[in-house]
Amino acid sequence: MRVHPAARDSDIVDPTPTRYAIRIHGHLGPMVVSAFPALVPQWHGADTVLSGLLDRSALYGVLAEIEALGLDLVEVRQLTQHQKSPRSGNSRSTLAPPWTQPIEHEGDHP
Amino acid sequence: MDRSTPRLIDRVDLLAALDRGAAGKVTIISAPAGSGKTSLLRAWADRPGQAHRLAVLQVQRDQYDAQQFWLALLAAVRHASATPSQAEPPAATPEFNGRAMVDRMLSELADHHGPLIVVIDDLHELHSEEALALLTRLLVNLPAHVHAILATRRDLQLRLHQLRLAGELAEIRAADLRFTERESRELLEASGIALSAAGAALLHQRTEGWAAGLRLAALSLAGHPDPERFVAEFSGSDRTVAEYLVAEMLDRQPPDVRQLLLRTSLLDRVNGELADLLTGSPGSERILLELEDANAFVMSLDPERTWFRYHRLFADFLRLELRRALPEEVPALHRRAAAWFAEHGQVVEAIRHTQAAGDWPVAARLLADHSFSLTLDGQAQTIQVLLRAFPRGAPADDPELALVRAADDLLHGHLDEATARLAVAETHVERTPPDRQRRLQVAIMSLKLWLARRRGHLAGVVEQARLLDSPISGQSDEDIALGNDLRAVALMNLGTLEAWSLGFPDAERHLREGAILARSIGRPYLEVGCLAQLGFASRIRSFAITRQRCREAIALADRHGWGAEPVIAPALVTLAGNLAWTGELDEAERWLQRTERALQTDAGPGIRQLLHLAAGRLHAGRGRYRESLEEFSAAERLQSQLDGPHAMASQVTGWILTTQARLGMHGQARAALAALTDEQANSGEIRNARAAICLTEGDPAGALGALADVLDGTAPVIGYITVVEAQLLAALAHRALGDQNAANVATERALALAEPDRLVLPFVTMGAQELLESLPRHSTAHAALLADILDVVHGASLTANNQSPSPHTEELSPSELRVLRYLPTNLSRPEIASELSVSVNTVNTHIRSIYAKLQASNRSSAVQRARELRLLAAHRTRQPRRSPDLGDAGSPGGSRL
Repeated sequence: MRVHPAARDSDIVDPTPTRYAIRIHGHLGPMVVSAFPALVPQWHGADTVLSGLLDRSALYGVLAEIEALGLDLVEVRQLTQHQKSPRSGNSRSTLAPPWTQPIEHEGDHP
Repeated sequence: MDRSTPRLIDRVDLLAALDRGAAGKVTIISAPAGSGKTSLLRAWADRPGQAHRLAVLQVQRDQYDAQQFWLALLAAVRHASATPSQAEPPAATPEFNGRAMVDRMLSELADHHGPLIVVIDDLHELHSEEALALLTRLLVNLPAHVHAILATRRDLQLRLHQLRLAGELAEIRAADLRFTERESRELLEASGIALSAAGAALLHQRTEGWAAGLRLAALSLAGHPDPERFVAEFSGSDRTVAEYLVAEMLDRQPPDVRQLLLRTSLLDRVNGELADLLTGSPGSERILLELEDANAFVMSLDPERTWFRYHRLFADFLRLELRRALPEEVPALHRRAAAWFAEHGQVVEAIRHTQAAGDWPVAARLLADHSFSLTLDGQAQTIQVLLRAFPRGAPADDPELALVRAADDLLHGHLDEATARLAVAETHVERTPPDRQRRLQVAIMSLKLWLARRRGHLAGVVEQARLLDSPISGQSDEDIALGNDLRAVALMNLGTLEAWSLGFPDAERHLREGAILARSIGRPYLEVGCLAQLGFASRIRSFAITRQRCREAIALADRHGWGAEPVIAPALVTLAGNLAWTGELDEAERWLQRTERALQTDAGPGIRQLLHLAAGRLHAGRGRYRESLEEFSAAERLQSQLDGPHAMASQVTGWILTTQARLGMHGQARAALAALTDEQANSGEIRNARAAICLTEGDPAGALGALADVLDGTAPVIGYITVVEAQLLAALAHRALGDQNAANVATERALALAEPDRLVLPFVTMGAQELLESLPRHSTAHAALLADILDVVHGASLTANNQSPSPHTEELSPSELRVLRYLPTNLSRPEIASELSVSVNTVNTHIRSIYAKLQASNRSSAVQRARELRLLAAHRTRQPRRSPDLGDAGSPGGSRL
């Protein structure tokens, strides 16, 4: 695993993990998604949104991995309790990738 | 990179942009993974008819070690300069002095003839703020004929706005690197792929001109039965480009190639043997060679094409696929790789793979066993990274890891943390298996000595040092090697402590033993360390011996490129101080400047004290008493950071008081004097100071009273210099009392004491000019010294009237002579080794020894010396003789410099 410089000193890490949504252009397949075991992928239109609980150092680790794999990063968003789910940028449907188990979308229920 | 690479196409606009950039100082290529940065640089560098030389460094993956980075860069620059004399591999040290390194690099670059381009690729892998800050310094100060090109995936914290404002900075970014549609077509054509214009346009559109995407697509398209269908399916998919194409490419490989790519992807570099081991089948080398010929993602690292690495983006995808497809095999693969690296002496990679396999206790033991030698090899920052990779919990509490951490703390001056960790390790000794107990004890003791030295605290440590008298009863070679390393370090630290505590005879014995041991086990760093301290330890005996030892230590340090490193600072500062004593002020100042360069990194308060004292004496010798007082006071303030009293504490206090008195600060001097303990006040140095105060207060009788015990030898003194000062103060007092005869007698006594070392400085700083001038010339036996002193009093700096004669040249052994004959040729060391059918290590050993015996610092000076000594003459009649111009080792009549 690569170590991101910002992730190396675990003493100055934000102790409480926060939910993040990270939008990447393109549909991530199983190979790339395996690089982010802590995150749940969803396809939103032409993008993939990875979401999950991350503390600061885990977030920088994920960003370093995105950089290493040459992925096209579109947006990083911290989700507060009021926000439901990452909004998709267009009207197309939100899907779990076909090779993943169906997952509960906590924010998608009315 | 001498092989032609047909798949690189000429990207005319970008090549022109690089050419334009080369007119300024720096070009930065900043673009994401797979943008074609490295390919562009190779295409640019490989063009025929280039006027410049090229130094190329590819930064290692996850490089946290500033020193490793700089040494690699220096090696690349020297390789490009290609003068054989400068091709010496630079040596690492446990104490890295980054600024000195940059200064050295700049001076070597300045000496380079003709235009030179320095390329640093993958700079984003350098995770060292220190190294990046130093790099900024280098870039801003590049000489006019040198241009630097940096390639990185992301913008870095380089402060180059000055260069940007001056128009000296060119940038090439992702948008510039994207392939145009025409270039995409050319790339496909160069790869022998026939695709319709529409197909090529579709591919270009789908990859958005991304270099890695186009190259991966080309791999799958080569030999594809239906290229148009491939492009159509690819553009219909909304998977990310690289993932789609890597998966396609892997699917199209034969099973053995696929297995090899996946299973070796967890290595940073691979050779045929290692790949055979990981795949479990032979023939890997052939596959690797074929892969390199067929695609742009496998590259050989050496001209012989034995080591390979994968394009980093490509390797990252392969690793993902390995973990996904064969997750259960990953730990075993790491274990196999670790065993191979351990067997081949590549400890760091062995530890990394052991950690990756999750074998934490094994990794802890490996690191503990090798951390000492890694530290001595200058890999302290690598150790830190390895330490951080251990998870919190059980393995981190391993007593041996606690020792590794303690050493790391010590190296960084965290003395309290180191003390606590040592205590933890000590409580674990009894629970340690018997076969490891002894080495743990020796390691603890060695670290305690080091700690004591950093604290300047001798008490309680010397008893433990008795452990040194019985070496580790050797089980394995590794045990013995570790034992010797520990023992040599312990001897160095023990001897240093003793020297600082005025325990001279033992100090010299221990340091000499340490130097001999270090030499025999091939640890030049420790040898230099012991010899440097030996120079300091012998400072009270005779100036000639001290200088000789210091110069020998400095010469050895210079040979290893450590002439401005902390390790040699004790010898540098001792030499500077010594030259100040004899009035050779200009030369003293030069050595002092070099000491300052060597002490840019923190080297502890003890050595800094010496620096301030030498600087203070130098100022005093030039009559700058205020500056002198500042330096002495700085030295005294550092005392609070040391546990024990300094070897020369009373001298420092004495000089401060005397200088204060001379500057008219009587009140302060008196108050400080009153605050001293009886023991301090009774020392010869403080009695002298009291006398000096009395004299400036107009109380010569009081001065004589204070001096009585020093002059009759009852007061304790640090050395004879204190007595010289006392005689001079007495002479001044007699003169003030109108007794010129007594003044002359005391002055003559001072001169007699000063004659053997030709000590000058006390006469200058004590204001002895009138004493000397009124001394009848015919009645002194020391007229030459007297004249020298008066010269310095009048503002001159003495120079040695005969340079230290070149010492006797040791005879070369027959095998050294055999190696020597190849030095005038342009054969490299490996080539010499193969000519002589011996190993490169043997050649290295002989060359080191040749340099030492010929007192040469590089290949060309060795050749020159060898010619002077007729060692290279075609018809050598007998054994080497000294040439007549070398003169004799000592000057006639035993007189000194």
